Formats: sequence, structure tokens, C-alpha cells
Amino acid sequence: MSSQGQVSFRNIVKMHGEFAALKGVNFDIKPGEFFALLGPSGSGKSTTLRILAGLDAPTAGRVLIDDKDVTSTDARDRDIAMVFQSYALYPHMTVAENIAFPLEMAKLPKSEIAPTVKEAARKVKIDHLLDRKPGQLSGGQQQRCALARAIVRKARLFLLDEPLSNLDAKLRLETRAELKKLQRSLGITAVYVTHDQEEAMTLADRMAVFMSGEIQQVGTPAEVFARPNSIDIAGFIGNPPMNLVPARYVDGDVIIAGHRLKTTATTAGERDVVVGLRPGALRMTEGGLGARVDLIEDLGDTAVLDLDCAGTMIRMRVADGNIPGEGDTISITARPQDIHLFDPATRMRL
Amino acid sequence: MATTAVTSAGIASEAPRSDFGRVLAQRERRFAAALLAPAFLALLATTTFPLLFLVYTSAFRMDLAMPFTNGFVGFENYQVLLSDERFWTSLLVSLVYTGSTVALQVIIGLALALLVMDMKRGQGCFRVIAILPVVLSPAVVGMIWRTFMLAPEFGIVDFLAINAGLGSKNWLGDPTLAMVSVIAIHTWQWTPFAFMVLLASLASLPEDIYEAARLDRASAWQRFRRITLPLLRPAIVMVIIMRTMVALTAFAAIFTVTAGGPGTATEILNLYAYRKSFTELSIGYGSALAVALLIVTIIISGILFAMRRAK
Ligand SMILES: Nc1ncnc2c1ncn2[C@@H]1O[C@H](COP(=O)(O)OP(=O)(O)OP(=O)(O)O)[C@@H](O)[C@H]1O
Ligand SMILES: [Mg+2]
Repeated sequence: MSSQGQVSFRNIVKMHGEFAALKGVNFDIKPGEFFALLGPSGSGKSTTLRILAGLDAPTAGRVLIDDKDVTSTDARDRDIAMVFQSYALYPHMTVAENIAFPLEMAKLPKSEIAPTVKEAARKVKIDHLLDRKPGQLSGGQQQRCALARAIVRKARLFLLDEPLSNLDAKLRLETRAELKKLQRSLGITAVYVTHDQEEAMTLADRMAVFMSGEIQQVGTPAEVFARPNSIDIAGFIGNPPMNLVPARYVDGDVIIAGHRLKTTATTAGERDVVVGLRPGALRMTEGGLGARVDLIEDLGDTAVLDLDCAGTMIRMRVADGNIPGEGDTISITARPQDIHLFDPATRMRL
Repeated sequence: MATTAVTSAGIASEAPRSDFGRVLAQRERRFAAALLAPAFLALLATTTFPLLFLVYTSAFRMDLAMPFTNGFVGFENYQVLLSDERFWTSLLVSLVYTGSTVALQVIIGLALALLVMDMKRGQGCFRVIAILPVVLSPAVVGMIWRTFMLAPEFGIVDFLAINAGLGSKNWLGDPTLAMVSVIAIHTWQWTPFAFMVLLASLASLPEDIYEAARLDRASAWQRFRRITLPLLRPAIVMVIIMRTMVALTAFAAIFTVTAGGPGTATEILNLYAYRKSFTELSIGYGSALAVALLIVTIIISGILFAMRRAK
């Protein structure tokens, strides 16, 4: 079963007039994989998904599904289920009718439709709303209805465009877990669009990070988190994201605000670099980089400190219990292996 | 009616506040009544009064050709009417005329709207051209068709018929063709109205549900049947209601083209009432016919409105 649902994008370009929404996108998704498209708003995630679904045609490039070129195949014939960012529920049909629609189109016998619909609705916890019209549902309920309509049919590919964005925190966690279980049990390939990196990190087997119409990195969430490819990804992934500080590299050391830090990252000779430091990788220590605490954001079990290091803002995450006071001066450092180096000119990892 | 319900509800909720609010609301209501009064009186004078007068007249024999027989006759006109074959024929003509022209308007208007929706360019241009027939006076439309389009040999329609090998036809002289012609004329003039309403309604439908339907593997026909049609239903029913009222009481176009002829082939109820009153000068009986038309119109619109509320 999971030999189905392999996807390849080959140099996909999408132009809107002069504007390039996608500038040559390449990726491969393995059968049965949970693949996330992560990126800031407007980076081309929905565009990618729509091209994969066959709703929009790419300006150039080819889309392959299961090694077959489907670039010019109609959406109807691609056997894809999708959850739209805008839900796209049929407004004149009840929730039950909405969920039943793909089954009716697949000519499933009537006696099988009702129980299947009920089961799908139960999975997303809207089985008490089956008789309502979409207009009588809250945003989160509509979203779950759209989800149920997509999972009710066993499609070859399952596309989700920010399907949990309107749910409250608790429901989001529950639905997330339910989705993951469902995808596992069906062995179906899922492509999941989100700008919430936590969602991508917890759900995805692999993810592609989009930045203004290009994929900048593909890898497992752990890989991307551990070794971001570029300054842009480093500044996007993580909560709060990595600190990016201009510094100078001198054989094995980086000099930030006059303070030397050892690093395992190496580059040729002596040069200007951008140093990446995860807020959670910073430690308080004697004789480190001096910094004044400007602001404390208490998150309950941890706190995020905004530090002023000789004019550069650095954020640091500290565990509860040893939080300094606002206005205090502390001294910080980082382990050599936690220091990432980027080229300020190419913005790439060194 | 809805507004009075709203205001009284508003007052009820404010009741405990003080008399001040009530006085204000009362004053407001008096002011509203004063504003409404002129329009209300004008309507009373121009519609309600003539209507009542019509009903009153229908209870009299009022024959201008034979004034000496005039007088109160009660329901006699209606008894005559029920056994008047020409009345039943004209009622049938009215229903056929209305039914077919409204059906054609909706079907052609919907087809055009669907077609134009898919046009990438020239939509605005098409709309302007489409609206032209609507702004013409029905009498003018009748004249145009009688001369330009249907005149034997020189009319465009007849010319096309000859070239298509059908030969010249007597478009307005043959009873069946005359009926077809007047239906075609009315349809030609008023389809743009249905087209415009349905196009606007179509344009307001969200696009994403069609994409969802494509992914749900609905064919073009299924998308039309299961999505477009149900969503357009309110607009379609509204068009049917409005066009039916107008078609039932159509007059000018038929009057200028066939004047009800040949014989009584295109004599709709409205025309029969007119001919009876102003050609044969039987005002009393003509009034009874007009009242009958009114009743028919009320019954049909009642049915249509009930249909609209259903589901
Ligand atoms: N029809 C269009 N015409 C012009 N530009 C468009 C069109 N559709 C999308 N774009 C542009 O293409 C870019 C990518 O859009 P896309 O919808 O893929 O973003 P996204 O990554 O899904 O963002 P979000 O997270 O906000 O949904 C955006 O800059 C958008 O403005
Ligand atoms: Mg999007």
C-alpha cells in the first residue's frame, strides 16, 4: 500500500505576471512519508500544494506522482484529497452531506456511506454536528469538517493546507496526534503546509523550508533544527529563533563584542561572520560575555531573557529557578559545538 | 412589518429604563408615520382605489354600446365568464405564454451566464450588449420585430428561414407561428434580465468549493447539478417570480405585434379584457375579466412564494 504516493517536483516555476511565486522548486517525497512544507507567509507553500493537486498549472517544470508525469493531468484524475486553507465547504450542504460528497462521487453504495461518514466525523470530534450547515459552525468546527471530508476517502495523496490553524491549543494537540495516527495507519503520503514550526517538527518525517519562492533546506526536523542551512532558516526555526550576531572569526575563535568564544565550526583565515546561537544553548557563567538583562518573558517552566550585549540584542532561554532580575548584569557563554557560523555575504552556512 | 417588529422588540427591552425612552419612541413613530403618509395616500389613490373601483364595476352591466341595458347585476358577469369559452382560451394562452417564456428566459439566461462566467475577456462588453433589449420599451420592441425581423421576405428572421430552405413563413398570420413569435419576442427582450441576475449570483459563488469538488472527483455536470444549481436556487426562484408576474400581465409587445390575433391565437387574458372593455365597450364584463386575471396572478404568485419558502 505504501508503495503508492511518491511525489517529485522537478524545477517547478510559477509566475504571476512578473512576480515569481515559485522560482524552481525541487523535492522528492517518499511513499507513506509525512512531509511538511514550512515557511513564512507568502513564501509559496500554498502555491506548491495547489500545483501538486492540479488546481494550478506550473509555468515551467514537471510534477511526477508515482513516477508518472501528471503535470497536465486534471485534478480530478490525480486521486488526491485536500484540506483547503479556506476550508472550501459546500455551504448548502450539511456537515454530513459535505463529508459524504466524495463518497457519493466515488459511487459508494448508500448503505456504506452513512457509517463511513460517522466514523470520519468521530475522528475529528464533530459527530454531534452532522446536521448543521457550515454557516452554523465555528471556524475550528468548519476546519474539522474539511478535515473529515478529506480523510473519509482513501486517496493516494493527502494534502493539508494549515489544517489546524483555527483550533484552540488543546484541540490542536489532540487533532495533531489523531492526524499522525491516521496517516500512519493508512500508510498514506501526506503533504502538510504550515508556518508553525512546532507543528512541522512534531508531525513531519521530513520537511522542506520555503523562503520567498525557493526551498532552502530539506531534511528531517531534527537535521534542520540542528544545522540550519542559511541565516534565513536559522532566523525562522526555533522558538524563539536563533540569535544572529555579527562577529569576527579568528582561527578557531569568534569575537563577539570584544569577547572571544571557542567554536568547533571552522572557516578559512580571518573574516567577518554571522554567529548563530540558540537561545537554549546559552549558559550563564563566570567570565563570559557581559550582558545586561533588559526584559524577562516568563513562560511558566522557562523564561526568555532579552539581553543587551554591548548594543546587540541576544535572547536567552533559562530554566525556572535561576532567573536574574531585570537590569542585572550577567555573563554568558556557549559550548563550542553550539556555535553556528554563517557567511554575511551569501547568507549560507559556513 | 419587519421594522415594526424590530422597534417594538427594542422598546420592550428598554421598558424598565424610564418613560423617557417610551415618549421618544412614540414621537419617533409619529414622525415616521408623518413621513410615510404622503406616499401611502398616493398609493391608495393610484392603486387601491382603482382596484376597488374595478371590483365595483365588475358587478354592473356597463355596455357603452347599449347604455339602456346598464345596471347592477351582482355576480352575473362572473357567471357568464365561467361559461365563456373565449375566457378559458385566453387563460390557457396566458398560461402557455407565461410558462414557456419564463422557462426560456431562465434556461437561456442561465446558459448565457455560465458561458460568460468562463469568458476571460469581453465580459463587460457582453453585459452592455445584453442589457440593451431590456431598456427598450416593449411597444418599440414589438414594432421592431414586426417590421425588421418578421416581415415576409424582408424581415431578418424570414430572410434566414428562406435561406435555410424553410421558405417564407407567415410569422404573424399563422396561429401557431404567431404564438411562437410573441413568446420569442418576450423571451428576447427579457432574457438579459435573467442573465444579469444569474450572472451576478454566479459571480458571488466562492471559487474554492469548485476546486474542492474537482478533487472530490465530481464531473462538470455533477458540479453543476450538486453545487451551482442549489446555490443559484434562490436567485432562480426570484427571477421566476418576477418574470412570471410581468409575463402574466404582458401587454404592449403583443398588442403592437399581433393585437391578439390572428383570431384569438395570441389573445392572453389581459388582451381579452382590454378588447372587451375598449373595443367592444363592455366595461362591466371587461372589469370582471380583469379581476379574474388579478385572482389568477395572486394564486400563481402565492404558489411561487410558497415554493420559495419550501426548503
Ligand atoms: N493569483 C495571484 N496573483 C499574484 N500573486 C499571487 C497570486 N497567488 C499567490 N500570489 C503570490 O504568491 C506568493 C505565494 O503565495 P502562497 O499562497 O503560496 O503563500 P503561502 O506560503 O501559502 O502563504 P500563507 O502562509 O500566508 O498561506 C505570495 O507572495 C502571493 O502574494
Ligand atoms: Mg497558504
